[in-house]
Amino acid sequence: MRRRARGYTMLEISITLAIFGVFLFIIVTMTAEMRRNEKKWPINFFAHPEVGSVLARMRRDIYDSTSRPENFETYSSSPLTLIVYTINNDGTAETVVWDFTTPGEAHRKAFKATLLSSEWMARGLPLFIATTKAMPSGQEAIRIQAVDTEKKLAIDELIVPRPHA
Amino acid sequence: MHRSRGFSLVETLVALAILAIVITTTIAMFAERTRRLREANETILAFQALSNEAEYWRREPFTEIDKPDNQTFKSDLTILTPMAPYTTEVKVDAPRSDVRNVTLTIHWAKREAHLGIARANTGGSGLW
Repeated sequence: MRRRARGYTMLEISITLAIFGVFLFIIVTMTAEMRRNEKKWPINFFAHPEVGSVLARMRRDIYDSTSRPENFETYSSSPLTLIVYTINNDGTAETVVWDFTTPGEAHRKAFKATLLSSEWMARGLPLFIATTKAMPSGQEAIRIQAVDTEKKLAIDELIVPRPHA
Repeated sequence: MHRSRGFSLVETLVALAILAIVITTTIAMFAERTRRLREANETILAFQALSNEAEYWRREPFTEIDKPDNQTFKSDLTILTPMAPYTTEVKVDAPRSDVRNVTLTIHWAKREAHLGIARANTGGSGLW
C-alpha cells in the first residue's frame, strides 16, 4: 500500500508559531521601548560630535574674552549672534562672531581688527541661543542653550569669562 | 518506495533553538548598546548641570558656604528633565579652617554624578 505524504501536524505548527510569536513579541516590545527612549532624549551627542566641537570652541572664546561688543561690522549682538573680544594664546586679540542665524548651522568668524582671520562652521546642529545671565556675584555669565527640533533642551551651559588683570 | 517526509518536531525545535540563540544575542547586543548610549547621554547632561552649579559655588561668599540652609543647588536644572526623577545633594567638608571642599552630586536611576571644587578663604578678594 502506498503511504500518503505527510505534512506538519497542527501541534507542530502551533508550537513553531508560538515560539516565533514569543520572539516577535520581544523584538516589538524592545523596539517600542527604544523608540520611547530616543524620543525622551534631546539629542544623541555621540551621533552629533560637532555639538561638542561648537561648545569647546565657544568655551575657549568666552573664557578668554575681555568684553562683549554690542555691534561689530555688520553684526549685532542677539540671542542668535554672539560677539566677543577675546585673547589668543599668542597674546593677540581678535573679535569673534558666533552666528547661529542659519538653522542647523554655527558659523565662527574671527577678525583681527576688521580683517577676517579665520572662519569655521559646523552643520547638523540643534538651534543654539546665547544670552547673558547675571551671577549672584555680580559677574555676567554667557548662557549657551541649544534646543532640538522638538524644542527639547539639549545644551544649557553657563560660561563666565575669566577675570583679566 | 521512499516516502516523502517533512521535518520532524525535533529538527524544527533544534533549528529554532539555534535561531533563538542568534536572535537573543543580537537583541542583547542592541539593548546593551542602547543602554550605554543612554547612560553616556545622561552623564553629559548631568555634568552640564554640575558644571553650571559649580559656577555658582565658585562665587559663593566663603562665609556662606557652611550654612546648612544654603547647601542646595542654585542653578536652573531644566536640562535634567529627561533624567527625572532625580535628586541633588551638596556636601561641604572642612579639611582646614580656611578651606572648604564642596561636592555637588546628582542622583538618578541608581546612578550618580559628582563634581567637587575646593574653596579657599581669600578674605573676600573674589579669587577662587
